[in-house]
Amino acid sequence: MKNNFTPRFISSAAASCILGLTATQPAAAAVSDEDFNALKATVQQLQQAHDQDQKQIQTLQQQLGETQTLATNAVVAADAVAQAQANPPRNALHNFTMVGDAEIQYAKTYGNGTHNGFELADFAPIFLYRANDNILFEAGFDIMLQNGSASGTNSYNGVAGSAYTHDSGSSTSVSLSFAQMDYLVNDYVTFVGGYMLLPLGTYSERGAGWLNKIPDDPLGVEFLPGAGAGAQLRGAYPLGESGQMLTYAVYCANGPSSVDGTGNAYTLDGGGNKISNLDLGGNVGIQNDGNNGNLHSAPSGGGRLGWFVPWGGAHKDLELGVSGQTGSWDDASSYTWSALVLDGALHVGPNVEVKGEYIDTWYNTSDAGTIRPWGAWVQAGYKLAGLDLDMPIISDIELVGRVDKENNGLDKLGSGLGAETRRYTMGYVYYITNTLLFEGDYEFIHSCIPGSSPLTANQLIFQLSYGF
Amino acid sequence: MKPNSKHSRRLIRAAVAVLALVALGGLIAVAQADDTKPAAPKKLTGAELYAVNCNRCHPERYPTEFNSAQWQTIMIHMRVRANLPAKQAKEILKYMKEEAGN
Repeated sequence: MKNNFTPRFISSAAASCILGLTATQPAAAAVSDEDFNALKATVQQLQQAHDQDQKQIQTLQQQLGETQTLATNAVVAADAVAQAQANPPRNALHNFTMVGDAEIQYAKTYGNGTHNGFELADFAPIFLYRANDNILFEAGFDIMLQNGSASGTNSYNGVAGSAYTHDSGSSTSVSLSFAQMDYLVNDYVTFVGGYMLLPLGTYSERGAGWLNKIPDDPLGVEFLPGAGAGAQLRGAYPLGESGQMLTYAVYCANGPSSVDGTGNAYTLDGGGNKISNLDLGGNVGIQNDGNNGNLHSAPSGGGRLGWFVPWGGAHKDLELGVSGQTGSWDDASSYTWSALVLDGALHVGPNVEVKGEYIDTWYNTSDAGTIRPWGAWVQAGYKLAGLDLDMPIISDIELVGRVDKENNGLDKLGSGLGAETRRYTMGYVYYITNTLLFEGDYEFIHSCIPGSSPLTANQLIFQLSYGF
Repeated sequence: MKPNSKHSRRLIRAAVAVLALVALGGLIAVAQADDTKPAAPKKLTGAELYAVNCNRCHPERYPTEFNSAQWQTIMIHMRVRANLPAKQAKEILKYMKEEAGN
């Protein structure tokens, strides 16, 4: 546009000069008709050009006005969108979020005559509802598909054969992992109440399917109640600005209970088989028949103290914790169950992780003295990204290994229930994405039942797990 | 609880291991204090706190995987579950909401 105007202005200026010079000529100077007409034509042309320029300027001014209006409207619309995003419309699902994980397993156990096959389909959602900025309701479920079983006697054409125990259909189990209310009292205290995960060690709170780098649980954690009905206070105190902190949790919960209500070490199940009388998973409230069986009068108390020290930024840290719980376990509250757990986790850069727990439990019984189930596990992982091989598939693999051992302490009174197990596990995690993991492990398992020959039943497990 | 020599040995071994780890942690803390002597301690940003804390238990989640309202809910869940200090949780939430983009 500027280039079009410039010659015209120059032409106009030149013409004006010519006209000016012409106008200053003496009136007596002779001007031929031809020159006069030429000048007249030139002036007319310049007048036309000037008129066109004026029109074009008016058109451009109009367009500029329209553009400014559009820009103003756009700013207003953007402000409205930003305000809407800052204050999204509230509805029933506004503060509702679902997270969790899902797993599929394929396994083969060697040495016990079982076949390989897909053995697990697990969906474990956690429902979160934020009532306000300080109150959260959360509940975790475990929905699993299991084989049914049936027993009987083979028969063909009326001829009785051998007895069998085999599968029969399938069933789906839905279990409540936890259901709790979290109330952020202040920066240092959070109240938790309900059926809550217990901070005995860290595995029960941080060991969901896709968080654990090995498909099955470490030995020893089965001697701890993973969750309990009760109330808890917990929080953390930062030490400086480097991320270092002290954490604490204190709680009371109903605690373990007795299957038959007594303090005896053993009891019989519905089929007449001898079993341990200690029940770590029950005692969550009034029974479905309205009775208060297994709700002893003295709740258990427990807690955990933790220390977290990062150094050199992310992925270099050490966490140590000590936790424990004690309380009665029989209906008469005459005998106590106690636990002590030491836990540790070390990250040496983004590619190296070592963690483990030592779990010691003991409980008094009326007929077999003190029974001491205990276990320990150490797990390590190394991400091959640390090799800097510039090979995406290799770099997405983490090698893992675990050594764990447990003794259930039930080899008393000739029960035949005692068992000590050692296990060595090696495997890998392939990170398909940050939340989709393909894991594979081979486990060397050695079990020893007092008075019997050692048993070896190695296991190969593959698991696809997804965290959402 | 009746003392049991095998049990005691096991407990002592575990205690020694823990003490060794505590000593390691102490050395780290002391070294950290020495390192930061010349300059004022650096306050970690929300992004740094996110990297320090979240990766301890699970692969890091991208901020864009959830929207701002969801992160606000999830951060209460994680603050309780991982026992995060309130200020750190708030810094992490601020970072996640900024990066979530909605």
